[in-house]
Amino acid sequence: MSKLFIDIGSTYFKVAQNGKIDQYFRDFNKNIFDDLNSKCADLVSQYAKEDIFICSSANGGLSTLIIGLTNSFSLKYAINTAFNSGINIIDTVLYPKIEGESVPVELIDVVIVVGGIDSVKKVFDEKLLTYLEKVNYQNIVYVGSTKNAAFLEENLKNIVVLENIISNKLKIQEEALKEYLTDLYQADIVGKEDIKQLYEITSNQIFSTPYIVNRALPKIHERLDVADPFIVVDIGGATTDIHYSRDLVNDNILTENGYDRLVFKKLGVFKSRESLVHTAKNNEFVFELLEHLNVTENILEEQSEAATRVLMQLAIFLVLYKVSKHHGDYVELNLDILNSIVLTGGITKVLTQDDVDDIILFFYRKILHFHHAPTILLDSDYEIWTYGIKE
Amino acid sequence: MKVVTGVVGNDIHVVANRLIDISLEERGFEVFNLGVNTYLEEFMDAVIETDADVLLISSLNGEAEGWCRDLQILKSQYDFKDVTFMIGGNLGVGEMNPELLVPKFQKYGFDLVFHQVDLNEGLDRLEEFLEAR
Amino acid sequence: MSSLLQREREIIVKNEYIDRFDFDEVENFIKGASKDLFISHKFKTSNEILVQPRGGFPTYDKVFQLYEEFKAANVDVLPLTIDSNTRLNDYASAKKMLALSEENDVDMLNGYPLVNHGYRTTRKMITHYNTPVSLRHGTPDARLLVETALASGIFEIEGGPITYLLPYSKNFPMDKAFLYWKYVERVCAKYSELNEPINRESFGPLSATLQAPAIVIVIQLLEMLLSLEEGVKSFSVSFSQTGSMLQDIVSSNVIKKLSRKYADKFGHHDATINLVYHQWMGAFPYNKEYSDSLINTSTVIAAMVGADKIITKTRNEAFGIPTKEANALAVANVKYTLGMLKGLPKVSDEEEEENLTNEVDEILEAVFNDGADTLWRQVFNSIKKGYIDIPFSPHIINANEVITIRDPQSNIRILKKGNLPISDRSFAFEQSKIKLAEGQKVVDKIIQDIGIML
Repeated sequence: MSKLFIDIGSTYFKVAQNGKIDQYFRDFNKNIFDDLNSKCADLVSQYAKEDIFICSSANGGLSTLIIGLTNSFSLKYAINTAFNSGINIIDTVLYPKIEGESVPVELIDVVIVVGGIDSVKKVFDEKLLTYLEKVNYQNIVYVGSTKNAAFLEENLKNIVVLENIISNKLKIQEEALKEYLTDLYQADIVGKEDIKQLYEITSNQIFSTPYIVNRALPKIHERLDVADPFIVVDIGGATTDIHYSRDLVNDNILTENGYDRLVFKKLGVFKSRESLVHTAKNNEFVFELLEHLNVTENILEEQSEAATRVLMQLAIFLVLYKVSKHHGDYVELNLDILNSIVLTGGITKVLTQDDVDDIILFFYRKILHFHHAPTILLDSDYEIWTYGIKE
Repeated sequence: MKVVTGVVGNDIHVVANRLIDISLEERGFEVFNLGVNTYLEEFMDAVIETDADVLLISSLNGEAEGWCRDLQILKSQYDFKDVTFMIGGNLGVGEMNPELLVPKFQKYGFDLVFHQVDLNEGLDRLEEFLEAR
Repeated sequence: MSSLLQREREIIVKNEYIDRFDFDEVENFIKGASKDLFISHKFKTSNEILVQPRGGFPTYDKVFQLYEEFKAANVDVLPLTIDSNTRLNDYASAKKMLALSEENDVDMLNGYPLVNHGYRTTRKMITHYNTPVSLRHGTPDARLLVETALASGIFEIEGGPITYLLPYSKNFPMDKAFLYWKYVERVCAKYSELNEPINRESFGPLSATLQAPAIVIVIQLLEMLLSLEEGVKSFSVSFSQTGSMLQDIVSSNVIKKLSRKYADKFGHHDATINLVYHQWMGAFPYNKEYSDSLINTSTVIAAMVGADKIITKTRNEAFGIPTKEANALAVANVKYTLGMLKGLPKVSDEEEEENLTNEVDEILEAVFNDGADTLWRQVFNSIKKGYIDIPFSPHIINANEVITIRDPQSNIRILKKGNLPISDRSFAFEQSKIKLAEGQKVVDKIIQDIGIML
């Protein structure tokens, strides 16, 4: 019996059966379940609950606030784990500086508190409680020193205490947190009700789409002509994701997966269009880029198909720029040794192979002074997610 | 007693690093070895995460100065008053006057500075220093 | 549609620093290449220990001259040592430094940047000397380097996912190293069908500091199996002089016996397995006469253990990179010494052999019992668990729990076994040999044992 795969995106549903993928525009007047039913009820009814697999990146995915003790260990480990678990929005607070930190205004799906190896007694104190009083959050999880757990349990209702993410040898132990975060869609999250409703049609766990994509990467060679090290760039409406081979970074993290993920919150082409344009205008290469594309700056203000295309090309350029040498923020990727770039997501429906070849070659020439760019592949059927959903 | 140790900067002297690790353990310290090619921020962060009593940085290739100049700044950002900062190895490039090296590194914020001093002697002096504290 | 491997190869050779890679032309070249370029052929047809020095310079001309010196010294196998930028896939820096080396006649690289020189150029030199060349590097991702080497006529490739990673890198992801070496094995296997087999060689010296023979042999056998399972037909296991003649002899008896045993056990009956012996890889004395003596002794040991190839050092070892003349002189001396060492009797120590065999079998059993579905992942997991743990590795994956020291006869023994899955009996044997002087610190003993040849 074949299986039915459903990906709930923020703009499309994608439904795959027997390697064939259909897409449907979301109707935002309906909740997800009703919308899906109105479009594919017949299809869904042909499958048993255990043969339907669903992943979702709807509503921009889950948001996280990580409060950690240091940049090199607790924050780094928790950010790495959160991204790889499919979390999209990550804000961080360095605990020793917490008193001066601003409080996020949005509702946070989950707060992660982390710091100290197990033998350390006093990591977190009243300062944490004072800060958290001001934060609007749904869930809170602690993956720091066990000796500090009692204090947090006494003072923070509903805090979930898991195994310390930092081992006694200062190595990462990601499993407990990763499992917790990937299970969040099943947990009781207010505001994600419409996702939970989908359990009426599937008996399998619903995962976040980026987590599924990340899981697909070790097998990607079997389907696409891609050579390691590679990156997968997923430019969406609100955020932009990069999945990258671990050998592109010089980092002392020893994790299970050969691929890590990173998200740029404000480089999407629809929802975060304004900040994309703002970032572009502040980039020193943008005018050369626009000239290269044979358009003027005015196009950034236009609402047209041509403008969208230019914005998407800009987004590709800016994403590569932001992970390249000397501009890397959270990570810096060694793009010199990159063999392949895979582009997926909404842009594959708009940009042609020539469009992306052109912009990536421009980047490699301008920024890395190469004459040649890596092999570029457009995942135009947007099928990568289907590789990861299968066990 | 907890000690964070490692080799600073672009330095791959793994043998020396491991010998320090073994020697510290033999003396009863709990050792957190960050290995070769370690940067100053990682050392400081490891001290914070482990609540260590001692930070022992080694440098064999003579490039320590460039890496450790910022120690004072990093020290000032957090509360490290109970931590002993020690550096040892081959601290100067070329024909440096050892008389000048020690005060220079002390000025950067190290309590104990050992330039081309035998490993055992250095660790003996560390133990004496900790006892006196 | 071409195979998955071929499609990956097409991507790998499309590189900024590669001038159009012509697979068809390369295949034809290998098909028609002289048998004299294949060390596998030489192993088959020669009864003598092959002598291979070390060496490599940045420029074509200097390597050409080095080879000329070696040939005059009657060398059997030429080395091509690759520079450290290329080992990190940093071809941009290699290119810059090569240009500087060419312009100023100073060596700005510690080896030959093969990718930058390219196969069309390098092949001219290799075919000119018509002698087997061995590629020496230390690269975790050697895919492009090896493509270029094979296309150049270099038909022996040293290294492996463990032996070229644990001694050299702090954080290159090991799972990637396994996959990149799998590619190398497959390309070697593919070309092996065209002419004589391509020979793969593992790097037994590891970090060249107090390596326990059991761990060295386990790693040799695993890299051998990983290579043979991809179709390689000619493989060399290797180890370096331990500092104890007894231990060298025991090691070689065990590695010969077990490499055949495990190759057969995994169904690789048709694979040829060779033994390579590295002259002392630890710190050399500053006294050149002592160095001569050390080198001569190790040549004698190589003959006693019946090595198929010996890799030489020079009397200048303590003073940096030797001149081509000094290097060639070392080759001539080793050849001269080997001339006196024919038909040596077989020696052994049964008890030692039994213990070492048990240790290797015990560790391998634990590796094969790992639940993973592929051999490389079993090995990867075993390294993570510390079942395989080499002393003095900078890599974050290495457990760094094992401690080794020498016994009074200079044999390397396991003092602390960490997570090595050896039996109590085997470990008790190791412990029974160790004698620490009253009040002697372990660290002082280790320092003394590392510097045994100084």
